[in-house]
Amino acid sequence: MRQLIVLLATLLSVSSSVWAESEKTPVVHGFISQGVARASHSNFINDSGNISAALTEAGINMSYQFSPSLRLATQAVYLDGGNRYPDGARLDYLFLDWTAWQTEQWQFNVHLGRFKNYHWLHSATRDVPHTRPSIVLPQSVYFDGFRDFSKGNDGIALVAKGESAALEWDIHWSYGRTEVNRSLTRSLLSAQAQGELEQVFDHQFSVFVRPQDGNSQFGLSLVDSDFRYEPSSLDIFFKGGAVTQRAILSYRYSMADWEFSSEALYDRTYFKDLLFPGFERDTRGQGIYFQGRWFVDDKLTLLARLDLFDTDKDDRNGSIIFEQSGGQIPNYFAYMDDFTFGASYDFANHWQVKAELHRFRGIARLTPVFIPNTQVNDREYWNLWAVQLIHWF
Amino acid sequence: MLVLELALFYRSWLLRLVQSVKQGMLAFVLGLLLWTSVIPTVTADSVQVIINAEQSTNTLSAAQLRRIFTMRQRQWPDGSLIHVYVMPNNDPLHQHFAKSQLQLYPYQLERVWNKLVYSGMGERPTEVYSQAKMLEKVASTPGAIGYISVTEQGIDGLINVSIEEGNP
Repeated sequence: MRQLIVLLATLLSVSSSVWAESEKTPVVHGFISQGVARASHSNFINDSGNISAALTEAGINMSYQFSPSLRLATQAVYLDGGNRYPDGARLDYLFLDWTAWQTEQWQFNVHLGRFKNYHWLHSATRDVPHTRPSIVLPQSVYFDGFRDFSKGNDGIALVAKGESAALEWDIHWSYGRTEVNRSLTRSLLSAQAQGELEQVFDHQFSVFVRPQDGNSQFGLSLVDSDFRYEPSSLDIFFKGGAVTQRAILSYRYSMADWEFSSEALYDRTYFKDLLFPGFERDTRGQGIYFQGRWFVDDKLTLLARLDLFDTDKDDRNGSIIFEQSGGQIPNYFAYMDDFTFGASYDFANHWQVKAELHRFRGIARLTPVFIPNTQVNDREYWNLWAVQLIHWF
Repeated sequence: MLVLELALFYRSWLLRLVQSVKQGMLAFVLGLLLWTSVIPTVTADSVQVIINAEQSTNTLSAAQLRRIFTMRQRQWPDGSLIHVYVMPNNDPLHQHFAKSQLQLYPYQLERVWNKLVYSGMGERPTEVYSQAKMLEKVASTPGAIGYISVTEQGIDGLINVSIEEGNP
C-alpha cells in the first residue's frame, strides 16, 4: 500500500509538472461498482454461505502523452471479492509506452514497468466490470485464485499490431514477475502457510488473428512461469517450487445481435518438495468454455455459458485424488463445471446493472488451491448468484 | 504429441457439451440463432469523413480509416498525433458510420476502446454530443478526424475526405 501511494504520488507529481509546461491535459477514466453475491455450500465468496457485499471494484486510470511516440499510463484499483482473491488497493499498471517503430500498416510498442496481461480474451480488463461479459468470469481460464499472478507483471512487454492483405494481427510478448504477499500465499497454498512464495518469472506470448473481411478472431496464448517457496521456521510446508505452463486457444465470432466466444486451456502444473522432501505432483489440467451473448437491443444483453474444467486429465472423476488423500478430499475437488445465465442492462449513459446465476458441479477452482477447504465445500453441486451496479467515466 | 492431446481434449469436452445442451442450453442456443438478423443495409455515402485542414491529404483507404478509428494507427504519415472524435455509442450516425465505413458493429468498437483505456495500451476517441460540436472540434484541433452526416453544412478549417477501397 505504501509502495502504491509513493508511486502514484511520484507519478502525479511528474505528470502535473509536465502538464504545466506543455499545457496538455492527462486523460482520466475510471469505474466504480458494488454488488451482492451468495454462494451456498461453498467458500467461493465467504465461509458462511450467507449473502455478501464482498463484490466491490473501483479504479481510476490516467494516461499522459509526452510526445507522439512516448506516453505514460497508470491505473489504481480497489478490489474486494471475498475469498476469491486478497482484498485491498493495488497499483494495477504503471508503464511507459514507447512507439518504437511505425510503418503504414504496422506499429511496434515497448511497455516498460507494471503492465497488464494482454494475452487472453478478457485478461487485460478482468477487473473492469462493464467490460466483462459477466460478473464472475469462467474460472477454467480466469481462475480468481490466480488473479494477482495472471493480471500482469513487472517487467517488459512488446506489442505488435498490424495487418497484411487479408488479416489483422495482434502479437504480444512479455517477461516479468509479480510480488506475492502473505495473504496471496495463504490463499494459494493454505491458511497455515507461514513462508514466502516468490514468482521467479512469468513468460508469455500470444497472437490474435482476424480476417479483414470477416467477423471471426482466432488466438493462441502460451505461458511459462516458475515459483519457489521458502518456509519459515514453523511451517507445514517445506522448501520447494512449482512450474505452471499453459496453452490457451481462443475463438470469437461476432454478429450484429449475437456473439459466440470460446477459450480452451491446456495447463501443466508441477509441484516439487513442497509437502515433504522428494514430493512431486505433475498434473495436466484441461478447461474450456463456450459462451453465447445475445444483444436484445442497445441496452439489454443476455448471456449463457458452459464452463468445464478438470485439474488432471488422467483423473477426471477424482478417484485418484480421493484415494491418495485417504478419503479426506472428495472426488469432486478434481473438477469444476459451471453453467451460467446472465443479463446486463445499460439503464443510463455509463450506468449498468448485471445479474447472473451459476450452477456449479465440483470445487476444483476454489482457494486455497494446494490444501483445499473440505469443511465448507461439502456438496458436489452448488449455486452462486450475483448482482452488480456499475458506473464508469 | 500436443496435437494428439488437444484432439482428445476436444473430443472429451464435446461429449460433455452435448450432455449439457440436452440439459437446458438448447433453448437458449436456438433462441440465439433465431434472433440472428441480417446487418441493416446502410449506404456509405450518407456519412462524410472530415479531417482538420492542416492535414494535406483528402483521401484515405478503407483499411487506414479502420486503423485510425480502432486506434491502431496513432500518427499521421508526417509523425503528428491523430485526434479521433466520435459521436456516442448509441447515436444513429455513429452506428451507421461504424457499420458502413469500418465494417464493425458498434459494440466491437466499444470493446476495442475499453481494452485500450482500462489496460493502459492506448486512449479512446473523444466523444462529442452533436454534429455542430464535431465540426467545431475537428476544425480547431490539429491532426483531428471525425465524421458528419452529408446533410450537415461544413465550416472553414475542414477537409472532406473520400474513402477508397483496399489497402493500405
